[in-house]
Amino acid sequence: MIKTISPDILNKRTASLFLTTGVFLASILSAEVACAEERSGNVYGLPPCVTTTGLQVDSIIKIIFWLTALVFVLTQGTYIYYLIRYRRREGVPAHYSHGNNTLEIIWTTAPTIIFLALAIYSNRIWEQIHVTAPENSLTIDVSSYQFGWQMRYPGISGKLAPMDVRKITPQNPFGTDPENPATAQDVICTDLVIPVGRPVHVLLHSRDVIHSFYVPEFRIYQDCVPGRTIGWVWFQATQTGDFQLACNQLCGTGHYNMKAPIHIVSEAEFQKWLTPRQQKNAALVQPSPIAAPSPAKAASLTDRTEKNTL
Amino acid sequence: MSASVTADSHSTHVPHDSHGHGKPGIMHYLWNTDHKMIAMQFLLSACFFLLFGGAMALAMRWQLAFPGHSIPVIGHLLPHGIVNDEGAIIPSGYNVLVTMHGTILVFWVVMPLLIGVFGNFLIPLKIGAGDMAFPALNELSYWLFALSGVIVLSSFWVPGGAPGTGWTAYAPLSSVAAYNQTPIGQSLWCIAIFINGLSSLTGAVNYITTVITMRAPGMTMFRMPLPVWSIFLTAILLILAIPVLSAAAAMIVFDLNFGTTFFRPSGYGQPLLWQHLFWFFGHPEVYILILPAMGLTSEILAVFSRKPVFGYKAMVWAMIAIGLLGFIVWGHHMYVSGMNLTLSAAFSVSTMVIAVPSAIKTFNWMGTIWRGSIHYTVPMAFAVAFVSMFVIGGLSGIFMASTPVDLFVHHTYFIVAHFHYVLFGGSMFAAFAAVYFWFPKMSGRMFNNTLGWIHFWMTFVFFNLTFFPMHNLGLGGMMRRIADPTVYDCLKQLQPLNVICTIGAMGLGLATIPFVINMLWSSRNGPKAPANPWNSTTLEWTVSNPIPHGNFAVTPTVYHGPYEYSVPGLVRDFLPQNEKAPAHITLEAH
Repeated sequence: MIKTISPDILNKRTASLFLTTGVFLASILSAEVACAEERSGNVYGLPPCVTTTGLQVDSIIKIIFWLTALVFVLTQGTYIYYLIRYRRREGVPAHYSHGNNTLEIIWTTAPTIIFLALAIYSNRIWEQIHVTAPENSLTIDVSSYQFGWQMRYPGISGKLAPMDVRKITPQNPFGTDPENPATAQDVICTDLVIPVGRPVHVLLHSRDVIHSFYVPEFRIYQDCVPGRTIGWVWFQATQTGDFQLACNQLCGTGHYNMKAPIHIVSEAEFQKWLTPRQQKNAALVQPSPIAAPSPAKAASLTDRTEKNTL
Repeated sequence: MSASVTADSHSTHVPHDSHGHGKPGIMHYLWNTDHKMIAMQFLLSACFFLLFGGAMALAMRWQLAFPGHSIPVIGHLLPHGIVNDEGAIIPSGYNVLVTMHGTILVFWVVMPLLIGVFGNFLIPLKIGAGDMAFPALNELSYWLFALSGVIVLSSFWVPGGAPGTGWTAYAPLSSVAAYNQTPIGQSLWCIAIFINGLSSLTGAVNYITTVITMRAPGMTMFRMPLPVWSIFLTAILLILAIPVLSAAAAMIVFDLNFGTTFFRPSGYGQPLLWQHLFWFFGHPEVYILILPAMGLTSEILAVFSRKPVFGYKAMVWAMIAIGLLGFIVWGHHMYVSGMNLTLSAAFSVSTMVIAVPSAIKTFNWMGTIWRGSIHYTVPMAFAVAFVSMFVIGGLSGIFMASTPVDLFVHHTYFIVAHFHYVLFGGSMFAAFAAVYFWFPKMSGRMFNNTLGWIHFWMTFVFFNLTFFPMHNLGLGGMMRRIADPTVYDCLKQLQPLNVICTIGAMGLGLATIPFVINMLWSSRNGPKAPANPWNSTTLEWTVSNPIPHGNFAVTPTVYHGPYEYSVPGLVRDFLPQNEKAPAHITLEAH
């Protein structure tokens, strides 16, 4: 063995250094937690949660947080204890052992049970979050492009004009049928305005590359894939407020700034915002009768909208 | 058995010129089929790329902490695709940094460092062979790697510059010139990945053949040291996973240059096809990057605990299980990609299951140090830290494995924290441990302990300072790959955490200085190392320093498993694999 400083002293010093560093890092951690607490009033540092499904996500985050925190403290605690307790000392030889099969079986079975239970529990929530949007949902077409967002709200008929993702072109960004009178009824804007307390069903589209619909306060992330309608995302806001919709899938130069304002407002305010716009569009296409989508077209819209198959 | 014959013919090595060891001057270092020299070539190249890729990470961290501020001192020296006239990083430049940092660190640093360096250096020495099975193919593997490195770097200087589509290069952003604006750079990226894949494949074929056919007499599979097992299994994963990535990269080149529309919906292509192909490679790749690290660490922990590896066979079977399960979990990168939701649920089950073998390994590492006689050296410190960091990385992985949680933390800094704990805290810590551990055998000299300890403590502290707060950033909702977090109202409050991460990253950058000085200085001026400085049991420590060409003067015979430490009744606390235990000693079965 190469001669270093007296190995005993070095070992003791190293072992205690491990401990001090642990304490140091733990204090950084607690400082961070304090910082996050200031921000949102919870130990997890999560942003406020404003949707019903978000609460379900938070509940499982909290379970996994405490589970992993417990495992972390137990394993690292034992580990650090061993590192200090079994440092080399003169005259104390190491224990000769190649292992223990009973232990192997225990520490294979126990994590398997825990992990499978977590998987089952997680997927139950996953399933609950992704049930088909309720009948009374407000349906909004959310269209993403390099580098921005456009929303399409139903016109005065209360139904979105049908669209076909294959018809999306720079001239026809929503892929709607220009011949269809319902198309001109749709209300188009760049802000996502939603009523509190009502389920909102978003149909996610992309005109070019993959973008993503990400709102931390909603606890929702979903990619918008070009050539497809992603129709399984819906949420119900629990409080009013202003938030931001972010693209969270690298989509090019302007990606970092691809955002849109979200306003969650009361039902009354929402109607005050939407109705005049609907009426304005309706007035533009007068006197032709307001055509609701024919049953055949409505059916084809449903066909193209991928439903949750769970 | 033919294995022993082959091994014999290689170890009783007649000097000749075809290996390049007789060549004069610089050719000795450039074209040399000796596995030890090839390991050195990989080591130096990987270190160069490590400094390069690391510097890009520092530039990114600067931008995230102080968005839009000019980079002090060196800002003006950076190319104009990356910074503006004031020397501040521009958004497209930031995307390039994100892409090239990830690509280079994965393909040109961690893979060559763990597989190229230690696969080449250790496999023949540890199994008692004179060289690899195909020495010329081995050197070809290095030069393909070098060529791919030149190509990936050259993309900085082509019109349009280097690609900015992320190391995952999601189509159709990567496959349509109008969307990415860097068709030439993106094509070069694909070609570089393709050639890098060829290098990995030639290397993998070599490792597998060598391990199967060239083991010394008595070296059964279950007597192989764990680093050999881990690199052997990694090589199998490489052979199965790399061709898929190569094919996908070729498809992007075709889409970009020859009018095909594999990934473009307007041409009836399917964007998600790229993700399936990429992650079918990408998830085994994650284990390609961590399995060798696990193998190397297991051995170092055993040596410095003076104990046999706890549960050697469980360790091997856990690695085999990881290798198999690694091929059915790729969908966990795609829970929220638009893939069928039931499929997401199915992938989350397999993902939870693959955590089990990792847990088994962790418990066995703890079992290895339990009741040991732990001697703290620099390599041991890195190996000890590896286990801790790997546990953190593993635990944070459980969050993402849970489908509803991924619905929130997907593509946030939580995932950035997670994979840096596994890739840096895991793979890189193990690589550092291994470089220090085998330095005496590679260079024939000892490293400087003081510099080694400074390197370790700086790396350990600053690593955690850099990456731990990223968990909080992620749970706070900060997206990854955005050039300026302050454009979002909800992220402005998190900015102090970004500053902490950046301070940590600067410290981590400084930590490499004592490492580089130590390696360069000690390999020439360090005290001469004895043949077996760590009193280790495996075969590479039985050869003299410097290792003669052909490694073993006489082919060793192996009598028992690799980790016979502290056997009761022996004078020394280690029993090398090529020494028979005295008749009165019974070795415990492992």
